[in-house]
Amino acid sequence: MIIVDDIYKRYQTSHGPGKWVLQGVSFVIPPKVSVGLVGRNGAGKSTLLNIIGGTDGPNRGHVERRCRVSWPMGYGGGLQGSLTGRQNAKFVCRIHGHHADIADRLKYIQDFAELGDSFDEPVKNYSAGMKSRLQFGLSLAFDFDVYISDEATGAGDAGFRKKAQDAFKNLADRSSLVMVSHGEGTLKEFCSAGIWLNNGKADWFDDINEALKAYKDSLPK
Amino acid sequence: MTEDYSYEHPRSAWAITLSVWKALFLRESISRLSNRRMAWLWLLLDPMVQIAFMLTMLTVINVTVIGGIDTMSWLIVGITGYQMFQKTGSQAKNAIASNQSLFAYRQVKVIDTVIVRTILEGFIEIIITVILCAGTLFVSTEIIPDDPLMVFAAFFALWLMGVGFGLIMSVVTQLLPEIAKIIDYVMMPLYILSGVIMPLSSVDPSYRHWLLLNPLIHGVESCRVGMSDYYHTIPGVDLVYLYKFSLCAVFLGLALHRRFALKLITK
Repeated sequence: MIIVDDIYKRYQTSHGPGKWVLQGVSFVIPPKVSVGLVGRNGAGKSTLLNIIGGTDGPNRGHVERRCRVSWPMGYGGGLQGSLTGRQNAKFVCRIHGHHADIADRLKYIQDFAELGDSFDEPVKNYSAGMKSRLQFGLSLAFDFDVYISDEATGAGDAGFRKKAQDAFKNLADRSSLVMVSHGEGTLKEFCSAGIWLNNGKADWFDDINEALKAYKDSLPK
Repeated sequence: MTEDYSYEHPRSAWAITLSVWKALFLRESISRLSNRRMAWLWLLLDPMVQIAFMLTMLTVINVTVIGGIDTMSWLIVGITGYQMFQKTGSQAKNAIASNQSLFAYRQVKVIDTVIVRTILEGFIEIIITVILCAGTLFVSTEIIPDDPLMVFAAFFALWLMGVGFGLIMSVVTQLLPEIAKIIDYVMMPLYILSGVIMPLSSVDPSYRHWLLLNPLIHGVESCRVGMSDYYHTIPGVDLVYLYKFSLCAVFLGLALHRRFALKLITK
């Protein structure tokens, strides 16, 4: 269960504080419920995901994570460019407290990412697709209760997307997802509930289709 | 502000922090020792070039003994002691920018990257100092500390000053880069003003009390006092002054990190 309680967030700009991106956002994500976030560009979807994942903090309000939550996956974040894929993987294993079984985790990550020799190349030489393969493999190597995906599969090729989708499906019985995606099909496939972000407020829908409908109705015709 | 619950394998906050420090320590060591070709050699060559250059300069003007010990020992101890402060500070200052991508993991806090860098740099500087001093066994002068405890206390104080300076500057560089630039310029003459390459005894006694306001002088001179019983420093050198200064700097640095924790992590 993740409890988001009355969150406010704004960013500092060069001209002082910017406008509020999130204004009093509250909701509760029950256990085993996958949620899709919808909203226009700049509505605060990634901001909200980062706050849920604990990567960023809100200006006001708080988040309570009563389960193990992954870091936000997507856009090559969380990878240190000067280190190789293997060194990055070891780093992530260590900070998650897996010192003893590091070899097993590395093998899993290597097999899933299918990077071949590039696994021992510095990550700065990776393409966007290779980065998302590695990121995806990394996050699947740990047993999280909730996975946070910010278009995590967006950069991959067709083969990888298929693999990622299968992996997500296999996760469904033990974990849930909080995801942002601009692919309507992806959202409908994996999410049962939806959150529509609009003007700094969040509306909860028990059915993702209703969230998508509300979002689409708000768009200018 | 946010709490972590993991029902099956709960880890205490300390356990998480320790595993993050360990992971960051290994990650930083790799970068420090392999970021360019033969990086480890440059770590040694950097102080050696400074020592060789200043030794030549001082020999040319016929300075062979400073304060009762030979110029080479005087330079080696001074430069390695000063590096303890300077390298630690400058490495810590850039810790946040170099680890930006790793803040994607909520376990990694901004201050962890700064603390780990100061620890790593402390170890590296100790190794460099030992190698350089051991190297002198092969030439006519040998540096063996006469008062090892004093040497340790002085090096530790200089390192602690580097930690405090690094903690403060890491926040300033991120939030007020313009001010950080100005502080960099102000810090430039410190190398000379700290008595690293210029003997303080050459300054007229009526002006020395101004120089003694600089805490680093007390550290650099104490290193030399501990190394050789024969070394006579100027009156007024007091290691406790540096310790007081360092502890205040560390406290201020930690307070800044606490106060601006959210601002530092929000891009």
